Amino acid sequence: MKRALPSILSVVTAFAVCFVAIALTRGGFGVAADAYGAMLWGAFGDWPRFFDGGQVGVLLRPLGEAGTKAAILTLTGLSVAVAFRVGLFNIGAQGQMMVGALAAAVCGAGMSLPAVFHLPLCLLAAAVGGSLYALIAAELKRRRGVHEVISTIMLNWIAVAVIDNWLVVGPLRAAASGDNSVSGTEEIANTAALPLLLGLSSRLNLGFILAIVLAVLLTVWLQRTRHGYEWRAVGLGPEAARAAGVPVGRRMLEAMAVSGALAGLAGAVLVLGTEQKYPATLGAPYGFDGIAMALIGQGHPLGVLATSGLFGALRAGGTRMQLFGVHKSFPELIQGLALLLVAGKLIWVALLSRLARKGAA
Amino acid sequence: MPSICLEHITKRCGPTLTLALDDVSLELQPGERLGLIGENGAGKSTLMNVLYGLYQPDLGSVRFDGSAVALKSPREALKRGVGMVQQHFTLVPTLTVAENVVLGAEPLKNGLIDIDRAVREVEETCRRFGFALNVRATVSDLSVGSQQKVEIVKALHRGATTLILDEPTAVLTPQEADELFAVTRTLSGAGRSVVLISHKLKEVLAFATRIAVLRRGKKVADHLVPAQTSPEALAALMVGSESVAAVTASKGAVRGAPVLTLDNLHARGIDGVSLTVHAGEIVGLAGIDGNGQRELAEVVTGLRPWTRGTVSLGGQPMVALTPARAKQLGVAHIPEDRQWRAMVGDFSAEENVALGRQAQAPFAKGLFIDFRGRRERTMRLLDAHDVRPREPGKRMAELSGGNQQKLIVARELDANPKLMVAVQPTRGLDIAAVEAVRAHLRRVRDEGCAVLLVSLDLDEVLALADRVVVMFEGKANGEFPRAAVDERELGRRMLGA
Repeated sequence: MKRALPSILSVVTAFAVCFVAIALTRGGFGVAADAYGAMLWGAFGDWPRFFDGGQVGVLLRPLGEAGTKAAILTLTGLSVAVAFRVGLFNIGAQGQMMVGALAAAVCGAGMSLPAVFHLPLCLLAAAVGGSLYALIAAELKRRRGVHEVISTIMLNWIAVAVIDNWLVVGPLRAAASGDNSVSGTEEIANTAALPLLLGLSSRLNLGFILAIVLAVLLTVWLQRTRHGYEWRAVGLGPEAARAAGVPVGRRMLEAMAVSGALAGLAGAVLVLGTEQKYPATLGAPYGFDGIAMALIGQGHPLGVLATSGLFGALRAGGTRMQLFGVHKSFPELIQGLALLLVAGKLIWVALLSRLARKGAA
Repeated sequence: MPSICLEHITKRCGPTLTLALDDVSLELQPGERLGLIGENGAGKSTLMNVLYGLYQPDLGSVRFDGSAVALKSPREALKRGVGMVQQHFTLVPTLTVAENVVLGAEPLKNGLIDIDRAVREVEETCRRFGFALNVRATVSDLSVGSQQKVEIVKALHRGATTLILDEPTAVLTPQEADELFAVTRTLSGAGRSVVLISHKLKEVLAFATRIAVLRRGKKVADHLVPAQTSPEALAALMVGSESVAAVTASKGAVRGAPVLTLDNLHARGIDGVSLTVHAGEIVGLAGIDGNGQRELAEVVTGLRPWTRGTVSLGGQPMVALTPARAKQLGVAHIPEDRQWRAMVGDFSAEENVALGRQAQAPFAKGLFIDFRGRRERTMRLLDAHDVRPREPGKRMAELSGGNQQKLIVARELDANPKLMVAVQPTRGLDIAAVEAVRAHLRRVRDEGCAVLLVSLDLDEVLALADRVVVMFEGKANGEFPRAAVDERELGRRMLGA
């Protein structure tokens, strides 16, 4: 909890600053309050209307949308966080997610199998795809000393060039049905789709559960297993770990493989849960958002889960702010500001310790 | 030449605002050679950094010839004639001596540096104070002793009339140290004052005209005259009790079978070393920094591959050695750079105790961490080695240096090693911790462990080793049984004779 404090303070400050910004540019604090209200109800369920005798749907629809977005943010966030814990900065979650999404889309559309096999196989394909793509960067680092930040950024662009600009608009593009030309790849089979959790009223799907389970598993792995201990040792003190007999290079490789797999799964959840195909554009840059989730979540899987939950919800609610003349990307602004403040973590630490001293004196 | 007066200096430092200096007053007259002694953390360096303008005191003032001056930076201190040679040199290795000396105050001609004038001026300064330095030499080509001279010339060149030397002999051979003291005598003879910060009592007694003692931020003695005091009396003042045991002589444990044998070993930094360490003996590697001792310790602990020759552990020749394999064979390691190589600062004390044995009982149960076993073992070690605080969950970085080192020594001993490789094991520790670490090394030796000790501090090697091997330029340059050691001879060997 103490570790989370700088993050919480950063998020709260970001909220406050954006609130004032809306008030100053959109005509007063009343408007800002209305816009924030709309965002929050759109994010966490419209409780006032529910208690006014509304349907359950006024709660479920926003919550479902929030959960759908949160699931993907969690997975990319975990991806970045895991690499972070062994001291690697994986900027390539975006590219690994694209590879995973494509693998899921191809497996989902190109095979016919019973659902018990088809869905897991698609998820596996996505995880392996993302993993292999991440390992390119890891191997480049291990063999040639190429910094992973540089190589993963370049791999992101290679993914854009090969997948978005060639495969999806070229060889893998869905056949036109009749006169209507279709964008993106072929639709996946029903047997490959992630089951919906709230029926047809929401897009919320099994990916949400998957994300939570993985966040919990990773927490156990990092905090409770001796292998996870070695990962953390490598991240916090690589030379001390090496001197203690930990095979540092191998641990980094393992973590990078897991990191890529998580990003790949994010792509799979997007394709198998929401889009049903690899669309012409992959939507929000979730892979890059993952960096923000990992940093605001302090690299802790549960921190990532909480952060993703919050910002997934805010994004779901952000569209409602448009009613008050506020652009729907405002939640991203809050996210960016919070990230900036977390990056200045030392300021919070200094501030808090000064407060503590005053309290003690 | 001003007389300087530090009055009632109080200073809190660090994240926890520890009282580093508590109402300390000290005056300094022209021509004096003041030995400022105290344990690590007693506040010696802090006090002198106040005088050098690096730290501003919370309370108190600095007076030059009676008038108070607020020294906000070393630049201002230098203007008043105060120069300081820090423990860690501040030279640019790729520049020449002359360039280093004028750095920051370069003579200019048409907006460009006038190198010729710089060389002339620096040569003049060297001549004036009797330094034999080639001012056109590149600093990285100089020995450590010469580099230190460059630091001193730098301060004098900028008009320092008061020279502060912070632990200057830590990296010097006895001969180089003597030379340094001769220089300081010349300086004080010319009316300049010199302050020597040290914890080596013999050296202070030889150097100073006056000795002041700090203990835990307070001045506990001043105006001691070397002729009328003794190392024992000074040590008692530093520690605060008379109970400091004199260095216990080695009992000469029974020497057993060879545990480590190096035969014609070559590696990067090592150029053909043959060496045997037996069970029950401490072999000390003496030498000036950078002559292959460090590299040798790395080879033995699996951290550095070797290119030629053989390494045998327990009689078995090794094909290759990884840190994990070395550990398995019973090699324990107290590395020189504690923060970097021996511990993870952001781990808790107990997590650091597990480091290296994280996969074994009592630290692991199957694939999982054995939290209870780890806690119990850690508590036991904290108690047995008097590590403070007794909090296994405390972040390692928040422990003091001495307690960190105690815990690392405890961890390495706990593995029941057959060979202990200790590199500078007492660097930066206070007297009590130094004695504790040395006592442990003697004890494991007496219990039949082989100990390979690397230290740049010749006194430490002599205090511990049963046998001393001198390293020079990657080779073993002489081997002496403890009883037959002549310090002068060691010094000559360290310089390559």
